[in-house]
Amino acid sequence: MHEIRIAEDLSFIVLDTARKEKLSKVTKVNISFGQLVQIVPDIFEFAFREIVRNSVVQDAEIDIEIIPVKMKCKNCGSDFQVKDNLFACNVCRSTDVEIIQGKELFIKSIEGE
Amino acid sequence: MEIKIMRNILDRNQNKASEVRNLLASKKVLMVNIISSPGAGKTTLLERTCDKLGTTFRIGVIEGDITTDRDAQRLKKYNIPIVVINTEGGCHLDSHSISKVLNSFDLDNLDVLFVENVGNLICPSQFDLGETFKLAVLSTTEGDDKPAKYPMLFREAEAVLLNKIDLIPYTNFNYESFISDLKKINGQIPVFEISCTKGDGLKEWYDWISKKINDSL
Repeated sequence: MHEIRIAEDLSFIVLDTARKEKLSKVTKVNISFGQLVQIVPDIFEFAFREIVRNSVVQDAEIDIEIIPVKMKCKNCGSDFQVKDNLFACNVCRSTDVEIIQGKELFIKSIEGE
Repeated sequence: MEIKIMRNILDRNQNKASEVRNLLASKKVLMVNIISSPGAGKTTLLERTCDKLGTTFRIGVIEGDITTDRDAQRLKKYNIPIVVINTEGGCHLDSHSISKVLNSFDLDNLDVLFVENVGNLICPSQFDLGETFKLAVLSTTEGDDKPAKYPMLFREAEAVLLNKIDLIPYTNFNYESFISDLKKINGQIPVFEISCTKGDGLKEWYDWISKKINDSL
């Protein structure tokens, strides 16, 4: 259900940007979600559409890029993509690893006229 | 035309969380964000902890609940400062709600602030409250598959409390499978096997959290 709150915060940013840029219509919203944040795209999009109904954003296409989880090993320094929930270095097997990608909730750009 | 924005969607929450974190650090208050499913035993854990450590440390509690103040009522007898945040349907606390209620505490006379988040394993783990660390509480009756299903929380938590271990014989909870999944996600995370009703394993938890509080003073 956190989709609703995230959609709401996104709507503030999009509407604010559209106003500043004097757009009469937003045609596309480009966002990235990290795999770890467990957003259900359908619920997110439904919530977003309800929030922006009757605004310049109402017909915008929403493009969601899902970003895979990447980690960096603090022991040997290699970075790797997490597969099957295994958060351990695939070179030296150390579990002393940090997430460098996969927690994003990011708006990249909007398109409009 | 395309307008580049490149912003964290939750940066309002993140900025406020950083403010809260700086304030609490300046006051030397440890803030623990306790996250679990409904009914895992967060409030009972707090009852036990206040009972045991309430004379050693100055404890405060923020009770996040969708509605009612029942959890807070249970903690009243320990005579500690408690503030209830009713989210009115919201599935998690956020840093703005925490920031607002911090004024109700005398932070100069507090060592630790336990935040009991709304019972839910997904949403609360996305919202930084400005806590020192998150604590995951899981009960054996929920099943051993929770770390695999909710990796974000178990990856981010500083420790896991596995509650209701006395009930394992009555469930199909597979301890080996639980530990194996958990260690894949977070190989370094400490696990405390406890029973808040029977008292099993709580000494190790008290020692661990006492050390964390002392280290932050």
